[in-house]
Amino acid sequence: MDSWVRFNAQSQAKERVIRAAQYACTLLGYTLKKGGAAAELHKTISQLEAHMSLTRKLLRLGNSVEALEAAKRAIHLSDSVLRLCLTISHLNKAMYFACDNVLWAGKTGLISKLDQQKWTQRSFRYYLFALILNLTRDVYELRLLIESEERYRASRSPPSPSTTLPADSLSSSSSSPAAPATIALPVMSAWLCRRLHLLGMVLYNNPPLLLDLLKNSCDIFIPLDRLGIYPTGSGFVGACGLASSVLSILTIINPWLKLKP
Amino acid sequence: MDAVVKFTNQSQGRDRIFRATQYACALSIYLLRNNSERKDLVAKLISLEATMSAGRKLFRLGNTINSIEAAKRTMRLSDRVLGLCLTAANINRALYFICDNALWARSVGLIRDIDKERWSLNASRCYFLSLVMHLTRDVYVVLQLMAQKVRDKHFRQKMDQHVSENPEVVDVVVPQLDAFLFVLLESLKSHPAVALDTLKNICDLFIPLDRLGIYQSNAGVVGFCGLMSSLIGILTLTHPELRIKP
Repeated sequence: MDSWVRFNAQSQAKERVIRAAQYACTLLGYTLKKGGAAAELHKTISQLEAHMSLTRKLLRLGNSVEALEAAKRAIHLSDSVLRLCLTISHLNKAMYFACDNVLWAGKTGLISKLDQQKWTQRSFRYYLFALILNLTRDVYELRLLIESEERYRASRSPPSPSTTLPADSLSSSSSSPAAPATIALPVMSAWLCRRLHLLGMVLYNNPPLLLDLLKNSCDIFIPLDRLGIYPTGSGFVGACGLASSVLSILTIINPWLKLKP
Repeated sequence: MDAVVKFTNQSQGRDRIFRATQYACALSIYLLRNNSERKDLVAKLISLEATMSAGRKLFRLGNTINSIEAAKRTMRLSDRVLGLCLTAANINRALYFICDNALWARSVGLIRDIDKERWSLNASRCYFLSLVMHLTRDVYVVLQLMAQKVRDKHFRQKMDQHVSENPEVVDVVVPQLDAFLFVLLESLKSHPAVALDTLKNICDLFIPLDRLGIYQSNAGVVGFCGLMSSLIGILTLTHPELRIKP
């Protein structure tokens, strides 16, 4: 109970719970439509979803400032790739929040005659750029970790004779062109297996990176669908949104699961 | 900027800002109601107030548990009167949140067959009772402070000095009343947290008093009082030393 009080005290945590509920409503609306439920229930669910979306916009009213502060902090990072990715990602997030605030003002009637469709598209574009940069950062960190793990493995155990054999066989059988293809395929699959195993190990040992990668991968389907680049349907979008919200709530409850910086 | 970010990160901080905006809108609507040129602005303010109110009801969905936890904590206080007042206040606040959650569910259409007016009145009643309990605690704390001050020899000298300095005031006003007011003001000045909390609760009290029809003021007074209490609430959040403890 005490942890709920502490959780509830953070406004970001509340926003995530409402986001999870909103995407659960999206998913529920889709399944109800597929199942052919009453129009009344479907209307209630979609009204609830719209209400939660508008309230989340209200709750996000100050987030541009936070994103700009995060961008200011990210400029001082030592790693240049991380610095670039994170700063531009935070700036894009700040622009997304600014468009979101304008949309809120339009929806509540503060700004009359607002082209809501145009501003929605704009905000989703900035969100997509921010997510692409976050994914780039995740892949970069993953690559660094894989390289260091490979170096560690190479330094611990000398290279086994089996790995040098395919190279010799490839160079010796250069006269017969059919032979390298039959030898190369099992070599390729063994190499792939090893790489995948390495990838799995690295991700398993770094849960913050795994969670962030999963979260961004789930999140990216939302703007892809809304912008029409890769339409997947509201059911899939709802499921992805719900999954990423749940992962995000996990990182708030356990701060050590949050990817730093 | 950093302090602003830290403040808005607390959901209570954001809620207080939204509450201040909501009551500022209510006050502005009352002041501009007869102004025919500003009808657009009034419509926008009404829409903004409704949005803030609906949004705040959604944010408050989890606060029942907060109040129950607070009631559990205050039950264990050493001072019995304080413990009783605060526990009763927190339980009433928990009931208020339950009524508020039911009203939210009704407004989004999740529950259809509840009497909105009755639940709204019950919510106001619970809120009123919790405010009365808070005010009782404030009065108790102020009386304790005054008693403590009177016992203090140094302060008694100051009071005698005050009485001897203003003989004409003492003749006009009843001397005991003058002494009482002096002690009261000195106690409040030395403990600004108690003064602010009392002021906040008195301002807040006008809202359910108007809603329940006990003391009908108008929408302008309600808006002004709500705005004042929200601003005091923001002040106590930004300056934790101005917050009354426990």
